[in-house]
Amino acid sequence: MSLDNILNHWSDYRKGSEEGGHHDYEHRWAMAINLDICNGCNACSTACYAENNLAVVGKERFEKGQAMHWLRIERYWDQQDKDYPEQGASFLPMMCQHCGSATCEPVCPVAATYHTPDGLNAQVYNRCIGSRYCSNNCPFRVRYFNFYSYYESAWPEPMEQQLNPDISVRDKGVMEKCTFCVQRIRTAKDKAKMEDREVQDGEVMTACAQACPTSAIVFGDTMDENSVVSKLWKKHQVERGVYAKTKLAKKDKDLRGYRIFEELNVDPSVMYLDRVREDI
Amino acid sequence: MAANNRSANLNVQHRKGFVLAWVFGMVALLLAPAAIATKYDVNAPTGTHEGEDVAQPIEFPHNIHVKDNGINCMYCHTYARRSKVAGIPPTSKCMGCHKVIATDKPRIKKLTEFWTNKTPPPWKKVHDLPDFVHFTHEIHLKKLVFDRDFPVENVKEVCAFCHGELENMTVAKKVKPLNMGFCVGCHIANKELGAPGDCWKCHK
Amino acid sequence: MNRRNFLKTMGWGGAGAALTGCDLPTTITLEEGKEEVVSYLMPEEYVIPGVGVWYASTCTQCSAGCAIHGRVREGRVLKLEGNPEASLNNGKICMMGQAGVQGHYSPDRVTKPMVRNGDTLTETSWDNAMALLQEKLGAVSGDRFAWFTGTISGHQSALVSNHLDAMGSKQHYVHEVVNNSVSQAVNRDMFGEANPRVRIDKAAMVVSFGADFMGASLSPVHYAGQYAKFRTKKERGLLVQIESKMSLTGGSADLWLPIKPGTEGVLALGMANLLLNKIKVSDAGIPNGVRKLIDEYDISKVAKITGVAGHRIQRVAQLLTERSPSLVLAGPSVEGHAHGYASVAAVMMLNHILGNVGKTIESSGQFPFPQLMAKQGGTADLLAFAEAAKAEKLDAVVFYGSNPVYSAPKALELNEAMNKVGFKVAISQFMDETTEVADLVLPVASYLEDWGTQVPMQQSENSAIHVQQPLMEKLYEDSKGLGDILLSLLKQRNNDEYGKFEDYYAYLRNAFAAMPAAVKNNTTNNNEFWNNTLQKGVIDVASSGGKLKSTVVSFADPVSESANADGLTLVPSPRLGLYDGRHANLPWLQEAPDQISKVVWDSWAEMHPTTAEKLGISNLDLVEVSSAQGSVTLRVVLLKSMHVDAVAVPLGQGHEAYGRYAKGLGVNPLQILDATTDNKTGELAMYSTRVTVKSVGPADSLSIVRMGTGSGDSQAGRKLVATVPVEQLRRTEGS
Repeated sequence: MSLDNILNHWSDYRKGSEEGGHHDYEHRWAMAINLDICNGCNACSTACYAENNLAVVGKERFEKGQAMHWLRIERYWDQQDKDYPEQGASFLPMMCQHCGSATCEPVCPVAATYHTPDGLNAQVYNRCIGSRYCSNNCPFRVRYFNFYSYYESAWPEPMEQQLNPDISVRDKGVMEKCTFCVQRIRTAKDKAKMEDREVQDGEVMTACAQACPTSAIVFGDTMDENSVVSKLWKKHQVERGVYAKTKLAKKDKDLRGYRIFEELNVDPSVMYLDRVREDI
Repeated sequence: MAANNRSANLNVQHRKGFVLAWVFGMVALLLAPAAIATKYDVNAPTGTHEGEDVAQPIEFPHNIHVKDNGINCMYCHTYARRSKVAGIPPTSKCMGCHKVIATDKPRIKKLTEFWTNKTPPPWKKVHDLPDFVHFTHEIHLKKLVFDRDFPVENVKEVCAFCHGELENMTVAKKVKPLNMGFCVGCHIANKELGAPGDCWKCHK
Repeated sequence: MNRRNFLKTMGWGGAGAALTGCDLPTTITLEEGKEEVVSYLMPEEYVIPGVGVWYASTCTQCSAGCAIHGRVREGRVLKLEGNPEASLNNGKICMMGQAGVQGHYSPDRVTKPMVRNGDTLTETSWDNAMALLQEKLGAVSGDRFAWFTGTISGHQSALVSNHLDAMGSKQHYVHEVVNNSVSQAVNRDMFGEANPRVRIDKAAMVVSFGADFMGASLSPVHYAGQYAKFRTKKERGLLVQIESKMSLTGGSADLWLPIKPGTEGVLALGMANLLLNKIKVSDAGIPNGVRKLIDEYDISKVAKITGVAGHRIQRVAQLLTERSPSLVLAGPSVEGHAHGYASVAAVMMLNHILGNVGKTIESSGQFPFPQLMAKQGGTADLLAFAEAAKAEKLDAVVFYGSNPVYSAPKALELNEAMNKVGFKVAISQFMDETTEVADLVLPVASYLEDWGTQVPMQQSENSAIHVQQPLMEKLYEDSKGLGDILLSLLKQRNNDEYGKFEDYYAYLRNAFAAMPAAVKNNTTNNNEFWNNTLQKGVIDVASSGGKLKSTVVSFADPVSESANADGLTLVPSPRLGLYDGRHANLPWLQEAPDQISKVVWDSWAEMHPTTAEKLGISNLDLVEVSSAQGSVTLRVVLLKSMHVDAVAVPLGQGHEAYGRYAKGLGVNPLQILDATTDNKTGELAMYSTRVTVKSVGPADSLSIVRMGTGSGDSQAGRKLVATVPVEQLRRTEGS
């Protein structure tokens, strides 16, 4: 594989919506998150730590913004002018949005972050040189940099025995982020391949979607028209590869589906459903 | 043997893709995180360790098993078609035969000692990939053996692409570089077999 | 196939032997031929290196007893998930369950038996430990011996009872900080069952008085599952949460109403007043005394006492009659007062008035194995224990699954009491505060290494026994399973009966074989039943139908005795995560931001900005929170999700022991609680301590760490989490 090849291959899957997007994907993994039943409980985030060998950084490094929580729950107060937040809190599970035309990809000087044929925004740790351009260019702030080596401090013996052997333990100097549990996707695809069939809907479950006690997170392939996630995207008229302006103009305003920062035209793979409140 | 006519003819292109990708591989290895973190004085790997001897607790003679006795690779490395790892055979497997065969030989005596002490021999890794490479045996065997109706009794010819001709070795040695260029060269050449070119297939 | 043999074979050569896979990601090796591959001595057919296999077991991180699956690869358990076979948790587990592997692999585990030698504990052998137990327990008789545990169920609980019987003692103290003991008493008196089945999913509207059913409560995953159904059904359910500190559940409320601490009962009476007198709901079955009480609390009086606006109360009462069936719940902040019983009774009475009993509160039926049912803990037993110990009535006590030295308020003088217990045995996985003062420490296997059965105390529609099986070989050879320890204790007292069981595994097999045919799915083949059960992880047992009564008991006036005193009421709020402090040693949970305040690795005092301003306190100041019993010093976080008359200090931190991750972080608010008790049940009134708060140091944003500082708590006009009115949902998705 030549450098040309890599660059071509890489750009293949990162055509922006202005170019009509890319339509030749094998799969397009995506999520739908229902914020009305997300209760902010942190089960997804902890499951992510368990599945993805996320390092615990400790209080001081957390304070410096070096926490490695690939999936974090943001909490907002929307009624700041009132004496009390009478409609509760607003919780937002935030992870890499696996944008179709990701802003992190073109700035990587070594093509360590690129788009895969199944629509994932990949991060190749052993190619990453730690320039951190990608993280600076990410509107969602979901890329996490290893400022230190954590494998001794985060997993003192025998804790290292818990590490998931299906994915690497990242070391100092590399960027990391949510992978949509690529190891689970690969395992399911390999299994399907061994059995000469396609991956079925529901066969791949990210750790967060699996864990969610209210099943607020749905994961699947939007190339598969019959998948639950496809149906949800369609129902809420959230489309890929279409300019935000065009899309928003014709969308049924009552539908709850939206993507964060739609106006940036980065084409995220995560659709959120509005939180609902009954005003009484 | 009929099988000889259909012997493996995979188009392994070492040379073509090799040079550039090897440079890439070298960059990757150079910047391998652990190297930076643990040893600042680390030099670029000078080689891929082909042909080096590996001291094993028992000098296991592959030639006797494979060539002289015609034992299939997957008889001992039984997980190859079912898992990412081919598996080092369990001691019980060795003892299955060597309870009665060649029990007087010094190597078998050593083995029997391990068995009676209920400790498996501490084998050393010969084909060791970096931990950021996630190779899987089962898909390779499916694509290269089962899907091609390649005769399973000759599977050693397929294994030899990466592991060399074990039938002519005693203790296993690494004979192929097993670096990124080696893998990618083959993947490009065999695209029509479905060999993926996606980085995230192996690096994750 | 025999799993025991599988595990035994895997064990040869210690933990390393488990790593047959060639790719344990430790460090990257560039040099060849250096790493060792450890092969199996003898593999089992179904073990394939490199392939993860899921086995069923049961979570014991809290007393909910969720069924789990553990992913096992190369003999190590890597990841836990919920078991979809269990209708209790439907394939889900919470953050504490996810972090279970960290307790198991904790670097701070007790690995050897230890015996007290003056001021220190020194390692000893099991033989010596058992001999010492034989000698010490042999010299104790009757009620001078006791067990002190957390909530415990299943066959382990039955063995504890049997051991007590064998010792001739009746003293089993069961202690849990997070409990619903007062509610149980009310439920028993009003509905005839201590733990009737609560059906949030069936309710059109839930009014929760401080019941954090999705947070640090008794079965958070089960209720979160119900909540999801409640919110996604055709007519989206309406949640009103009334409490002094916003809980995790409160964060999801349609209407969150802050209430003056301790006045929840009064508010319930006010609502009853509206329902009976204004909206004209029948008052059938309400005793005269209570009826009189209700009439005393007219809306203006209630609004004044509770601080909840009259129109809000009216609206909620009105909606309660329109949305039927509804459900009214009471939580620990209602229970934790001297008038706790009365308050809970007043709240639960609303269910009677609204006709919810039998609709959203159902009978949980008769569980066919009463001896296996959970012995549920509360705080009354802690008080009883402290008293008995201080009176030198206890010669030997075995502690398991509870940490009273940490969780007892100073006012109980537990340290002094512990000194007066003749011989203290701690069956423990960690050196927690209680284990540190023990005379004999027995290292117990983690729940992922042990056999057992758990009977969830909040059962779903299909009641079940959840089976716990080892997911891997023990990490430490010198640790023993709880059941095995119990059996050896029993063998010392009654070898005739228990000598025939080689180990707890044999005991369980025997117990399973003896189960009635109906439970065994009518199979007579005990091996088949056993194997099926291990595979499924769940034994379905039909609870025979029961019927609840719907009555109202007489209760006293639930007035807050301290409502008009100076200062603030301390809310010692449990967190889903660190829980009552038992998970402070799990780094994932320390690093997981608190759901509401987003603080990590610390304690904090939570207070309303208005209150703080009055007291001259600014955000992130160092403050001293003082009660009559003592004080704690910590950072203050100002949030509007607090009632102005309350200050919350979350539970979980302030450990003086318990390993590297827990020790020395934050403060323990339990220490400064008053020893006041509920008048009726004798439970500790945990939510009634009055405190004063003063600033003792300037704000320092670096000394307390919160996720997302900088970006603030506001969405700043961005559409991150958008909120839409329910009418919009109804147009597109509803009926």
